[in-house]
Amino acid sequence: MISPDGIVSLLPDFLPRQRWYGAADRVLSSVSVNSFEVLREEWPMLAWLLADAEFEDGSTATFQLPVGLRPLEQTERFLEGKGRSFLGDVDTDDGPALLYDALVDPELALALVRHIAPDEDVTLVRPLNVEQSNTSVVYDERLIMKLFRRVAEGPNPDVEMTEALAAEGFEHISAPVAAWRQDGRDLAVVRQFLDGGTVGWALALTSLRDVYDSRIDPAEAGGNFGPEAGRLGTITAEMHLALARSLGTEPGDPDAWATTMRTNLSRSRARALDASAIAAAYEALRGIEDPGRAMRIHGDYHLGQTMRTNEGWYILDFEGEPALPLDERRALSSPLRDVAGMLRSFHYAAEVALVERGPSANDDELRSLGRRWEQHVSEAFIEGYCATEGIDALVPGDDDDRRRVLDAFTLSKAVYEVGYELAHRPDWAHIPLEAVHRLIASPR
Amino acid sequence: MPGSIDWNDNRWYQRAVFYEVSVRGFADSNGDGTGDLKGLTEKLDYIEWLGVDCLWLLPFYQSPLRDGGYDISDFFAVLPGYGDVKDAAQLIEEAHRRGIRVIADMVMNHTSDQHPWFQESRQSRDNPKADWYVWSDDDQRWSDARIIFVDTEPSNWTYEPAREQYYWHRFFHHQPDLNYRNPEVADAMLDVVRFWLDLGLDGYRLDAVPYLFERDGTNGENLDETHDYLKRIRRTVDTEFPGRVLLAEANQWPADVVEYFGDSDECHMCFHFPLMPRMFMAVRRSQRYPITEILAQTPDIPDGCQWGVFLRNHDELTLEMVTDEERDYMWAEYATDPLMRRNIGISRRLFPLLDNDRRIAELFHALLCSMPGSPVLYYGDEIGMGDNLYLGDRDGVRTPMQWTPDRNAGFSKADFAQLYLPPLMDPVYGYQAVNVEGETRNPSSFLHWLRRLLEIRREHPTLGIGTFEVLSAENPSVLAYLRRLEMEDGHESIVLCIYNVSRFAQPVELMMADLAGKVPVEMIGRVPFPPIGELPYFVTLPPYGFYWFTLHDEG
Repeated sequence: MISPDGIVSLLPDFLPRQRWYGAADRVLSSVSVNSFEVLREEWPMLAWLLADAEFEDGSTATFQLPVGLRPLEQTERFLEGKGRSFLGDVDTDDGPALLYDALVDPELALALVRHIAPDEDVTLVRPLNVEQSNTSVVYDERLIMKLFRRVAEGPNPDVEMTEALAAEGFEHISAPVAAWRQDGRDLAVVRQFLDGGTVGWALALTSLRDVYDSRIDPAEAGGNFGPEAGRLGTITAEMHLALARSLGTEPGDPDAWATTMRTNLSRSRARALDASAIAAAYEALRGIEDPGRAMRIHGDYHLGQTMRTNEGWYILDFEGEPALPLDERRALSSPLRDVAGMLRSFHYAAEVALVERGPSANDDELRSLGRRWEQHVSEAFIEGYCATEGIDALVPGDDDDRRRVLDAFTLSKAVYEVGYELAHRPDWAHIPLEAVHRLIASPR
Repeated sequence: MPGSIDWNDNRWYQRAVFYEVSVRGFADSNGDGTGDLKGLTEKLDYIEWLGVDCLWLLPFYQSPLRDGGYDISDFFAVLPGYGDVKDAAQLIEEAHRRGIRVIADMVMNHTSDQHPWFQESRQSRDNPKADWYVWSDDDQRWSDARIIFVDTEPSNWTYEPAREQYYWHRFFHHQPDLNYRNPEVADAMLDVVRFWLDLGLDGYRLDAVPYLFERDGTNGENLDETHDYLKRIRRTVDTEFPGRVLLAEANQWPADVVEYFGDSDECHMCFHFPLMPRMFMAVRRSQRYPITEILAQTPDIPDGCQWGVFLRNHDELTLEMVTDEERDYMWAEYATDPLMRRNIGISRRLFPLLDNDRRIAELFHALLCSMPGSPVLYYGDEIGMGDNLYLGDRDGVRTPMQWTPDRNAGFSKADFAQLYLPPLMDPVYGYQAVNVEGETRNPSSFLHWLRRLLEIRREHPTLGIGTFEVLSAENPSVLAYLRRLEMEDGHESIVLCIYNVSRFAQPVELMMADLAGKVPVEMIGRVPFPPIGELPYFVTLPPYGFYWFTLHDEG
């Protein structure tokens, strides 16, 4: 048998090394284990725990950690090069053991999915890249288990939203098969794996590489992304319609939107921004008579959250902006906030594909091709979105108002990006800064 | 296969490579400027050398040639310029001696207005052939039936003064539709089918099959009566001529086309029309989805059936078949794309469509020879022939086969002015640059490359009849799939095909943990690659590159 006592002392070293730690800007003061369970008692052992972390600024976080144990003398190939996944050595009743993140162990990853979805018969395991807030494992290229690393009170929006969409018959998501819950907290979800798909981001870069290399207008180039973007716009609108049906809507409150945007702006540390011009753009929201509805939205919508398959576009990861607290992620907002997120993503794609080209990124012709690609694709996306039957009930009916709301959310997103980039990737800050300047230079 | 025919193999068409040839354009034996059956017979050694299993002849029957021979005025006679029935029998015999089967076009739906049957029928309302065609007192009946040749035909009805009636025609007004509701017609056409099979022909490519019957309240396409009649032809073939094949031309969506396979009791083969334009679109978009989408929408076909797949033939896909909601993709991508718009409905040859890029030509032929279906090659494409757009719609791709750099491309000894069409003479595709003789002498030519590819395909029946399974790949520019076949000795033959549809080099990681331990051996050079392991299998591909692997057990 093993006990949590030997494990807890290893956590202060282990947790900050994980990509999903998400607290690099805080100082960890203490860690304790609040739940512990042994799921498998024979070698390799599997234990599960929730660890409460406290930080010096008074904030807290709860991390979920399935751990595996194998006898110390065994060397396993799957552990090679996985130093980050080791917690250390522990003593067990059966002798000294190596303690590690169980999801890198194919045998234990299988044991865990059988615990969560006992009806599913799977044999092959493929770990995916670790994400900021969760870890995913693919089984038989058919199912995917997503284990939430930072656990919060209340339903996980990803589980909640996909269940709501599935209940409405919206098929362009990875449908949930089983959810693992404890005390009202979502721990993990098992879904259908989208086999044969490509993330929208990769598809956009494929298009851009063709455009930049051929130097042909993006609407005429072989890699024209317009039709794809149009279909993505349609699916996005259909997602919003299904969410509205399933989880309801309220009248939009442009005053509240403007206030939130101004608060976020004042919090921003970016002195490079012309705060008064931005605030003026936000103020344009007030006084809009028909702002559309406020509703549950995707919340962190960008190309990386979409997947192109043989059955068209799918939408992934409804957890919302990972940096925000749960109640803010579940807050109602305009569906145009998701549209704004995607428009920002198109801009990033054009810039990233340009940077890929190295020195020629300074080529004026390429810059204008990139700008043209972004415009073309954005227009196609918006057209696909707005042409979807029923969407008029959710967004402002008046074209100018619709534009004003969309621009305000796009600007607000860009302002957030400026802050994020300056803090984490200063070399990238020019991308959202350019967007901010564009949006305040040409108010519609 | 070449060299001898296994007459007990009644499913030969599932693994065969077809070669579509125009008698008029292949070789002229008597120097009158027009190709003929004897000329084609003299070139059979070349076709055998190339590795073709079956010839498909465009119509060679008696005809006023107002629609390329698809307007037949005597089903039992050969167009005099092409030879006679004896020449046809000789061609079939000589082909068989070389292990090559022969099928031919047959037009079931209509005849020429010059056909004696119609000449008689149009005379009066009470002659013996009066009901052999479809007559009506008014021209408003069956108005739901679309007009196929909208550019030239204002209506599906044309007035006949002698009868003061209208006759029905789904194609040109000079091609009246036969009336299959008349049992005499149904029987007579069955005799036509029997006639050429009796002569040794190995089957038919049935032209325009969806339109045989008409019925009130329908659009006159794909009716049950039409399927019933096709089943009757099939029963006749199976009973009297086992081993002969029926290949249907139904330019419809795959889900509708499969109806023509029946329950393995209708046509043996059908063309897969949407695949070809989607291959072009995939290369243009640098992504596999145009191809994988249409394959995902293609239903399984009954046992003993096979798709016919092609890159080019004398017919082109038109947008008229893509109107429903599920076909939005085609509209969005095609109608807005300048290159596709320019080429749709226009007959172009393969190489000009590919800007003469040999890399793409190789990629396309490798795809053609490894996707589910039997490949159908179009004469001249194996040497990279071009087209002559100024000759008008269909003639542009029917110029004489280019045999040598000599006079008239070695096609004919006639005076140049006497040729049915001028051979290509431009500096890129003209016969002095592109011809069989030159490509035969050059071991690195496309012709030699294709011949080798066909040889490899023949060695691996898995490519013809194996199951088909697309592999997951995050890189959208890479298309990878497995073909698997349970062999008679109990072991499973597995072929892995990987394609890069972009003009940039691409990496791909393929999830094949279920095949861990297998060693991929490249099929052209027999070079073993590193074994497949538990981790994703990593492969890099050059621009437009591809690999075919057989998978072997380690050790």
